[in-house]
Formats: sequence, structure tokens, C-alpha cells
Amino acid sequence: MKTLKIVLLFAFTFVILPKLYSQNINWESLQKNQKHIAHFNGHWEYALGFGAAYGYQLNSKTPVVLNASFSKPAGEKVLDDFKTRIGAQFRIMKINTFQVTASVQAIYRRYQNPLVRIQNFGSELGLNVGYFRPRFFIAGEFGFDKAILTNFKHAESFKTNFDPDVRDGWYQPSTGGNFNYGIVSGYSFGQSDITFKIGMVLSQDLKTTPFVPFYAQLGYNFRFGGK
Amino acid sequence: MRFKVLLFAISIFCLFIIGCSDDLSIHQPGNLVLKTVDENPALPSVSINGTRLHAEAFGNPKDPMLVFLHGGPGGDYRNALSVKQFAGNGFYVVFYDQRGSGLSRRHPKNSYTIDIMFEDLRAVIDFYRTDPNQKIFLFGHSWGGILAAGYIDKYPEKIDGAIFAEPGGFTWKHLEEYSNQSRGLNLFSEPVSDVMYLDQFLTGKENDHELLDYKLNISSSFTYAPGNAEGIEGPSPTWRNGSVVLNSLGSIAARDGYDFTQNLNQYNTKVLFIYGESNTAYGREGAEKEADFFKVSQVTGIPDTGHEMIYFKWNSVYPVVLEYLNSLK
Repeated sequence: MKTLKIVLLFAFTFVILPKLYSQNINWESLQKNQKHIAHFNGHWEYALGFGAAYGYQLNSKTPVVLNASFSKPAGEKVLDDFKTRIGAQFRIMKINTFQVTASVQAIYRRYQNPLVRIQNFGSELGLNVGYFRPRFFIAGEFGFDKAILTNFKHAESFKTNFDPDVRDGWYQPSTGGNFNYGIVSGYSFGQSDITFKIGMVLSQDLKTTPFVPFYAQLGYNFRFGGK
Repeated sequence: MRFKVLLFAISIFCLFIIGCSDDLSIHQPGNLVLKTVDENPALPSVSINGTRLHAEAFGNPKDPMLVFLHGGPGGDYRNALSVKQFAGNGFYVVFYDQRGSGLSRRHPKNSYTIDIMFEDLRAVIDFYRTDPNQKIFLFGHSWGGILAAGYIDKYPEKIDGAIFAEPGGFTWKHLEEYSNQSRGLNLFSEPVSDVMYLDQFLTGKENDHELLDYKLNISSSFTYAPGNAEGIEGPSPTWRNGSVVLNSLGSIAARDGYDFTQNLNQYNTKVLFIYGESNTAYGREGAEKEADFFKVSQVTGIPDTGHEMIYFKWNSVYPVVLEYLNSLK
């Protein structure tokens, strides 16, 4: 069944959505002919980290940007911990300068320390409501990140020091979920945006929080044309 | 295109609700964490003070009693099992996993108090005691040393001697100082990222014991990361950490503070402090600072080891503690 879940997740993602990313967009400054968006950021998202992303704007009446992103936390080991997202951002509503946008992302993330390797498939849903002008924007954002399917593989060190009979494999129900809410803002000039967001993270029980219960991101977008 | 995006969104939502029967459950004891005494009746246990504790004793029950108090809060006595060697020296050695810790029964977060930890210790002593005149010694490691000091502060007449292995905070102020010195956070380092990045993979509700205990188990690799200030050489055996009791007592201490030193200067018996010489956050200075609360004390460094000296350098710890115990026997 877990295989089915993974196949479902990625079949929908790759078949239906060609290309993707996850970033902050000034929808008011994004031109129709700016098909591509490159994005780089430094952030605090559970831990200090760095990210890069690519976005592709579809030819559609309502703006839709497909995206793919990669991020990793700081640390000496390069690829033991990381997160990838693929998904789409799209505008739901526009009334003069106020806009409502949404995002849907599929997530694959990996974690490893001396005791265990964890792989997770999850999803992230987001909603932004804000004021967008060609030179700047400010919006409130709300999101939910769900760790849906998780695989554990334990190192010998765990078996020796904790439990020799620990059960490796796929686990359900969901092993985690966090809400986030905050403010996102940006300044646009030429083909560039400088964006900043900051907010709080709250676990899905609405009582507990992560070790550091906030997030922040300083990002840069470069928009460039297609045909 | 809108249809495709909508379909994609629906597919993501479906993943939230698809259930399956062949996957493992993180909430099932025995999958990722060991079963407690409530789930595994084969474990040795005692029922006292409204709880059930994983506990066992070694030696002649009529000998002077030596009660070992593990660290944490939330740890267990697995990496201190060498202490049972004193059973061969004429001591009745008692181990127990404290309330909500190790393999003992779990309780809701709001049920824990510092006083109840003292009352559990009193009840454990009463349970194993065979004679009202039987001498009672405490051997506390880390948080277990703080618990021992608090107990002596409260019931000085009930304890005939104590060994403190790097307690690190008889008052909330001292504990904060020790924590700051021992757990410096380099945000660019792998061990710090390993602790914090985990929060997006595993989130548990307030009393989600299996998940939270597991998360604390795997986060423990942070404590022995290369270059750690406490001089911890590597991993040491643990059955299961108790995350909820750790969070609960930590919250209480941060909110209310504590001071277990008010009556220690009236305790007339000599106490022993041991410290790992590789623990740069504690060292002789830390041990002497805490020893000064007592009238009579001995401070002894254990070379080539750190905070987990009982596990990693037992052969050096054992003769020092034995000499002390024999002097009071």
C-alpha cells in the first residue's frame, strides 16, 4: 500500500504538472512573458538552511506558476538532510490590489543522524492574502505541512544502544504535521524581487511547538522571459 | 489547466486520508520504543505511590541500601548497571527508572511535580527497606544528583551518605548556567541541525509518549557529538527516554525555579562529589561549587572521561565510591 501511495503522489505530480518550485512571488509585477523564475534563499525553517528553486509560468488566464525546489539545513554533511518540493502556486482571487493565492506542494525529505535514516513523503498546502503593487507586496500567509508516509532505517548504533528489535520500515498514520502562519513581503525592481517572510510554527495539536517555533526567509527571485 | 491543478490538489488531499493496514504504527509500543512495565509484565517492577516503576535490587536485603538515581529527567538506569557491583561489597543495590522515565509507567504531562519525584524515592526506599535502622545511601548521576540533593534538603535525617556524579544544578540558576556552558549551539553545525531539522518529520501531541520518547531517543546523538563540552565519548545504552516527564519538570523548573540548598549546610555527613575531568562545562570548579553547600565533602576527579563517567570509566569510579561507602558503612 505504501508503494501505491508513493506512486499516486508522484504520478499525479509528474504527469499532471510538468515543472515546479516554491517561492514568494509578487503577482503584480510578474509579466506574462516572464516564463521562468530562478529563486535563491537563506532561511530558518526548523534549522538554519539554504534553498534554490525554479518556477515556470503557464500560459493561462489566471496566473499559475509550477515549481520545484531544493533546500538543506546547515551542517558538514552535504546530502544527509534535505527537502525537495514540487507543486504549483496559483491565484484564486483578485479584487483591485488585493489578491488571494494558494499553493500545493508535494514533499520528499530525508534526515540522517548517527542513529537513524528517515525518509518522508508529505504535502504542504498554503494560502496567501495580501496587497500587491508592481513595486512591492505584503501578504499574510497560512500553511500546513503534513508528514504523511515515513520510512525508518536504524543504524547499528541504535540497535546496540536502544533496541536490537526496533522495526525498520514504513510507518503510518502520519508521523507529523505543522501549521505555519506569518507575513510575507517583497520589493520588486527590474526583473528581480527581494522577498522576506517571517512567522510562527505550531504543531498540528495546536499546543506544542518545534524546538524553535518560528521561521524566516530572505529570498531573491530573478524573472526572465520565454518567447 | 485549472482542471489539472485541481486534480493535483485533490490527489494531495487524498494522501491525507488514504489509510493502509500493512504499515507499522509509530504509536504501537515495541515498534520504535521498548514497552514499559505496563505493556511488558515480564519486566521487574514495583507499584508504589500511584505508579508502577521499572525497578530491581541486587544483594542482601539486610545490607545497607544504595539507591541509584539516574539522570534526565526521563533517562534510565541501563548505562549504570555496573553499580550493582557494590552488591558484592555488602550493599543492597536498588535501581529504579523514575516516574515517566525509562521503562516505568507513563503519565500525563500535567500530573508531574518535583515533589512527587521525592515522594516516589521515599516510597521506593520504604518498599525495599527491611529494617528501620538500615542505612540508606544515595548515588545520583546528573539529574539524579539534583534529586538526591533535594531529597537530603527535605529529609536530611533519612539519608546516611550520598555520592553526586556531576549534578550540575542544585538551584535553577546553577542549572541554567551549566546548560548554557554544556549545550552551546553552533547553528551551522551538523549536530544542531540534526536536532532541529527533525521537527518536521516527527511531531507528537503533548502526551504522545511513544512518538515523543522515540524522538528524544534519536535526538540523543547530539549529546555525544565530536567536540561536545561535556566530554562524552560516545553513545551509551539506554532503554527509553521519557520525553513528557522531561518537558513537564523542565517547564515547572523554568516557571517556578527551585532551590534545593536551603538546608544542605545542616547535613553533617560527608558527601562525595565525582566529576569527569574531560567535562569542560563542569570540571573541578563545578564540583567544588556544589560541594560548598555541604559541611563536609570530598571532591574527586575521574581522569580521561566526561559526564558519562559511570559507564565509560567504571573501573576508575568504582574504587573511589567504594572507599567512600565503606567509610560510612
